[in-house]
Amino acid sequence: MIETKKIAGLAVATLLTVLNSANAQDDILVLDDDVPFNGDFTFDDDLFSSAFDEGSSANSSSWLDDFTVKISQQFSGQINTHGIEIAPGITLPREAELETNRLGANIRYQNAFAPGWFLQASAQIRIYLHDDYQFRAEGDSIDIESRGNEFFLQRSFNQHSIKLGRQTVVWGETSGNSVLDVINTTEFRDFNIIDIEDARLNQWMLVWDYFGEDSNFSSFVNLYPEFNPAAVRGSPFFFEPEFNLTDYERGSSMLIEAGTQWRKSFQGSDISIMAAYLYENQLRHEDPASLMGDAVAETNDFFLLGFSANRAIGKLLLNFDLAYSHDVLADSFSFPGTASLANPVNLKKDQIGTSFGFEYAISNEQSVSLGMQAQMLLDEDEGLLPGQSLINDGVFGSWLVRYSNTLMNSDLVISSTLQGDLAANSLLALLGADYTINDNWAIGGQIISITSNEESPLLFFAEDVRLSATLTYSF
Amino acid sequence: MQGNILSKGLISLVVALFLIPLQSMAQELSGREIMEKLEDNQRATSNSALSRMQLSTCKFGVSEGKITCAERPRVKSLESVGKGYGIDLKDSRSIAILLDPPAERGISMLSFIYDDGARDNETWLYLSALGRVKRIASGSSDDETEPGSLFGSEFTTEDQDTGKLDEYEINLLEETVVSGREVWKIETIPNEERARQSRYSRTVLYVDKERFVELRIEMYDQYGKEIKRMLGARVELMNGIWVARSTTIMNLVTNRLSNMAFLEMHTGIDVPDEFLTQRTLTDAAFRETELAKLRAQID
Repeated sequence: MIETKKIAGLAVATLLTVLNSANAQDDILVLDDDVPFNGDFTFDDDLFSSAFDEGSSANSSSWLDDFTVKISQQFSGQINTHGIEIAPGITLPREAELETNRLGANIRYQNAFAPGWFLQASAQIRIYLHDDYQFRAEGDSIDIESRGNEFFLQRSFNQHSIKLGRQTVVWGETSGNSVLDVINTTEFRDFNIIDIEDARLNQWMLVWDYFGEDSNFSSFVNLYPEFNPAAVRGSPFFFEPEFNLTDYERGSSMLIEAGTQWRKSFQGSDISIMAAYLYENQLRHEDPASLMGDAVAETNDFFLLGFSANRAIGKLLLNFDLAYSHDVLADSFSFPGTASLANPVNLKKDQIGTSFGFEYAISNEQSVSLGMQAQMLLDEDEGLLPGQSLINDGVFGSWLVRYSNTLMNSDLVISSTLQGDLAANSLLALLGADYTINDNWAIGGQIISITSNEESPLLFFAEDVRLSATLTYSF
Repeated sequence: MQGNILSKGLISLVVALFLIPLQSMAQELSGREIMEKLEDNQRATSNSALSRMQLSTCKFGVSEGKITCAERPRVKSLESVGKGYGIDLKDSRSIAILLDPPAERGISMLSFIYDDGARDNETWLYLSALGRVKRIASGSSDDETEPGSLFGSEFTTEDQDTGKLDEYEINLLEETVVSGREVWKIETIPNEERARQSRYSRTVLYVDKERFVELRIEMYDQYGKEIKRMLGARVELMNGIWVARSTTIMNLVTNRLSNMAFLEMHTGIDVPDEFLTQRTLTDAAFRETELAKLRAQID
């Protein structure tokens, strides 16, 4: 209960601090109650004269203009004290506690420094403060983590564009759970990251785009394929493994991924066809031969063929993705954020998957979207030992429903997300609100509730309720 | 959602509602003829145009008889390039790139607007967080949807809409004076079908007789109450066109106002077709290079 109050108190304090800051502006006027709009009234257009002054000095740009900085403070915690029965008679206690208390900065640099050239870089710094799970994991001391995200140089000429450096490549039309969005690795470190857009990690790639008269080609070579990082010690997804989960030992082996996509737009529709040679983003960990030391990380390469299309019909947008994967590991769990919980067997299969859905603009302020992802291993029983079965048999996958409502001239966005697996073993419900206070300040809040039965790895989070608040300052 | 809103108003943003070329108007014109000339000239100004605009929005009130902001305005700046296509250049393609605020910098959108009501407009949005070009279901060009806010401002797509004059009864009410200028006072009343899609049951426009700039527009709801008022100011000759460089719309219900300042507006720009494609959304090196070329035409 104390922890619950603490989390709520921090959220309220954040809100009050921001509102106070936002109101601390110059030239606040006391307004007349009755505004007489009948007939003429005077309007001082000089109010916006600074815009035209700015126009005359538009060319006096500064190198600082190339930087965009976002500073954020985030609190979140699990607020429902309860117990989870993981086996008959065995209950796992779940205490309400603060999980994150972190100050972060995201910095982006973009510079078209010469005709046809463009440089982009971004990085993030996180300071894990008191009671953050990483603070506790570091022995109750403040921990600072920094990470480079994007860093690429682009050269465009004629109908070509070449980008070299750390970047992302996104395939597929379905938002949030496309079966084709498998090029980049992801990190769902905790429940504050729900959207896959926020979870993608950049990799070192060479990307060549060809923009033709009627269609485009986009090809990539991943020069240093990386893998989904293991859960950070102390985070909600972290479970003490029997053996330490280590990164893949590359040794002298050289890993390379490559793929290409052809894309064409028609009236009301876009289609893409793609093919790639990839490594599965999730490593497979085997027990050490001596049953001592660290687990052994193994990679798995596979081929992907894909097709994607969309179709706009008035306010309705239909999305469709189709993927055929050759030689994937049989037991890959598809629910975002729980991949590290899977324990795949060393059995290669072919897999066919599809993701499809729609986005519908109810009005200019409201929209709803639905995405379904379904996958199926072909010849799933082949190669299994007697009594052995796959974690995912038959058709498996997930679904995602999103609703958003934009209020107060886009200052306030209320959104909700429901996400579950096709077998109806788990459900994640999110309600969020983001309020833009002014051009620099924004605040957001989320409530996340999880329900699960014993068939889902999300059982460990069943009945969890998480509350979070994030304050952001951008400049 | 925002993409839908933006797409609906994008081309109109480029068109600029209050742009009228200097013309000799010796002959008597009917209200319909005045409105037709407005539309023709708006279309002309949207073709091969490069604009830089600033949108400011704030809560307002009246202090000592004067309208003023009650808070620091929210400001968005953007750059837009447009070009006419098709028969009589009635179709258009445009791209808008948000320059500020920092949190929205780089959001860009490509729109194909078709005059033919049977063809759906097409819009693609690029958000760096999304990592790809995303098609936006923007609805058809017959404005079947409820008008929405433009970039979160008090300007709505309906306020920026042009054409469809057949759907209005247009009456020239009188000749009068506004802000010391002789104006035509014109009333437009939507027909039954149009009224179902409109927030306004009646609109009154005050058009500068000499410079063909709308100096004031009053918008009334179904109960005959004025709910919005738009004022044009800083009328200047830009590239041979009289332009109200500062346009302010006041929502008299919510007490919010938005000002659209045309910092730059250039027509007759040679816009390559390749620029108005999806490449411009994703290929930053290409986009910045081509924008520099367009800006060089101005210099």
